[in-house]
Amino acid sequence: MSMAATSHEMAAAPVPRAASLAAQVGAAERRHLWRMLALLAPSVLFTAFFFVVPLALFMFRSVDNPEVSGYLPQTAAVMQAWSGKGEPDEAAFAALAADLRAIRDTPALGLIGRRLNYALPGFRGLLTKTARRLPAADDGATKAAFLAIDEKWRDPAIWGVLHQQSGRLTSFYLLTALDLEKSPEGEIRRVAPEQRIFIDLYGRTLTVSLGVTALCLLIGYPVAAVMSRAGPRAASWMLMLVLVPFWTSLLVRSTAWVILLQNEGLVNKSLIALGLIDQPLALIFNRAGVFIAMVHVLLPYAILPIYSVMKGISGNHLRAAASLGAPPLRVFRTVYLPLTLPGLAAGGTLVFVLSVGFYVTPALVGGPGDQMIGYFIAYFTNSAVNWGLASALGALLLLVVAAIYLALGKLVGFDRLRVR
Amino acid sequence: MAVRNGLAAGLALFACLLPMAAAADSITVANNGGAAGAGYREAYYKPFTAKTGHVVVDDSFNQELAKLRSQVETGNLVWDVVSLTAINEATACEEGLIERIDWARYVDPKDFAAVGGFGQCGLPNNFVSGSLVYDTKRYEGGEAPRTWADFWDVKKFPGKRGLLYRAEQTLEVALMADGVPPAEVMTVLAAPGGVDRAFRKLAELKPHIKWWKSGDESMQNILTGEVVMTFAWNGRVAIANRANKRALKIEFGAGHVSGSQMIAIMKGTRKKDVALDFLKLASAPEPQAAFARTIDYAPANAKAYAFMSEAERATLPADHLHLASLQSGQLYLDFWLNNGDALLQRFITFAAQ
Repeated sequence: MSMAATSHEMAAAPVPRAASLAAQVGAAERRHLWRMLALLAPSVLFTAFFFVVPLALFMFRSVDNPEVSGYLPQTAAVMQAWSGKGEPDEAAFAALAADLRAIRDTPALGLIGRRLNYALPGFRGLLTKTARRLPAADDGATKAAFLAIDEKWRDPAIWGVLHQQSGRLTSFYLLTALDLEKSPEGEIRRVAPEQRIFIDLYGRTLTVSLGVTALCLLIGYPVAAVMSRAGPRAASWMLMLVLVPFWTSLLVRSTAWVILLQNEGLVNKSLIALGLIDQPLALIFNRAGVFIAMVHVLLPYAILPIYSVMKGISGNHLRAAASLGAPPLRVFRTVYLPLTLPGLAAGGTLVFVLSVGFYVTPALVGGPGDQMIGYFIAYFTNSAVNWGLASALGALLLLVVAAIYLALGKLVGFDRLRVR
Repeated sequence: MAVRNGLAAGLALFACLLPMAAAADSITVANNGGAAGAGYREAYYKPFTAKTGHVVVDDSFNQELAKLRSQVETGNLVWDVVSLTAINEATACEEGLIERIDWARYVDPKDFAAVGGFGQCGLPNNFVSGSLVYDTKRYEGGEAPRTWADFWDVKKFPGKRGLLYRAEQTLEVALMADGVPPAEVMTVLAAPGGVDRAFRKLAELKPHIKWWKSGDESMQNILTGEVVMTFAWNGRVAIANRANKRALKIEFGAGHVSGSQMIAIMKGTRKKDVALDFLKLASAPEPQAAFARTIDYAPANAKAYAFMSEAERATLPADHLHLASLQSGQLYLDFWLNNGDALLQRFITFAAQ
């Protein structure tokens, strides 16, 4: 109200000296805001262009389904209209024949074959064979021609796949990433037991990551405490030792672990020589090896945040508590530990998020039961070039990590999760 | 602009008049790197540059097809020639990432028949064989394993066995252990029930299997005695014997799984002629023998064996080519292209249980 009045007076008065102060302040604030925005702009734009947009585009691939509608347009149209029940009619076969004739000598045939083969192993071969042997022109008996080439064209599973994959968007990749599939009738069901793999992988990835996080915090905490109390020279030496794992290449490190930990390795040989064990311990190519190797690599990520928080804790608090009669354990529990909690939370989050993405190390020092989800994301991205599935697996992993982060935030408070 | 065009025309005319002095070009060849890269440089690049004056740039490639696709789709070709496994060659050829070439016009098909013949796009370059490997010292004076059935017989030959952590090759070995002759393995595997039969056979040996994921690992396991015998690739055996002064033996007689590493020309390269010349040289007997000597895998060209000594042939399957389950041919390619991903998933689930 008063604003309106002011502006009215402003308009009325020819030289609005008193009123212009507010306007000037407002203008100054706006300028300030713009300057701030301008200063922020590079980082906002950078994040948007190089992180948010590519991430969103990649996530979109998990539902994107351009192949069938793009390479087999007539079939896609017929399939969209089809009920999905029983055997398709002559028109469906004729549409597929026309589409196949159009692409039979182009790379599109390989690409569409590959795409349909994800949904049904063998589809690729069927499609190539059919395209190769298809008569050049239609004579009104296309269905018969297809069945003469291969009886499989009678299989409802084949047409079920074409029907389900004819849309522009698909739930196929996300379902696959959850070990689920759609039956030809459209019901969602679990895949055959020998093909169930991803749920186990997610579970294993989370178990290993949580274990590694717990171990890193347990081992890193005392190290950080000692470092924070050491003199500057000693502290910088210790910091260097903490950082050593960063300076060695992954392959050198894993070879070193193999030399140390294998059955005929240094550790086992010394333990046997000392008479502590009779049979070599299985220390590598199993879960133990994965833990040893991952904790070694990730320890600095736990130590550094804890160390920086501990550095900021004044000794006065502890002395005050002690002078009030608290025994050392009590001082630790009621004063020191709560003060270092932000460091623990930050270090723990960092280690957890990093270990969720590990896959090379588990592959090198783990056994067949220690493969993690990252291995498959890399496999489907680089080797199999199935980017839809890679992106669905990645999206679900992101979802799981976000859920854990939110739960943790609710539990200990978000301000404590920040890395300071 | 006119001046430059004129200059270019003049140069072109000059080049036409003097075909022997063709302007030096450079092509980029992507190969598997490591020992293979060293072999390419010694056996192929050097003689090619000496003969034609064209420079060859080397790049390494870990068989990620995504790299080919991004180059061809964006039109930014970094490579002109690429070395591919047979499966990747078939995929890349079908998807239009490498040039279709009728190799019979340039080289004699007979020389390459034993290793599976030409691809629709690529030319076989060297021949990698995996078979039964053991340390001769361990079985000195006694009976040594001779067949895959022996490999499966843990009573007669106690101890752990090394097998490749992959469905492809390992399922083939399991069928050979189940009594299928090497030449029929793919037919049996592709027939209904074949895959189940292979997995059943693997399950029998499973408690005694130590899976390996890299060639290095396979050799480490057998050299340190973690396993008493292993499936391994012949080049690795030759190198391990030389480097460690050991006497590992590869028993090709048991039957082996072997495939050609193919070499092909990138789709749409402007240097196709130079690339063709390069491939012709890289397929000739003498460079093939030189290459086989550096990487210890067999030459694809049968005529190259004539340039190799008896000792150099010891870890090559020269006399056992008929005992191969070949990683090539329509049946093999169709089967693995159709079922590769599903079988990999099934295999990893099986191994983890």
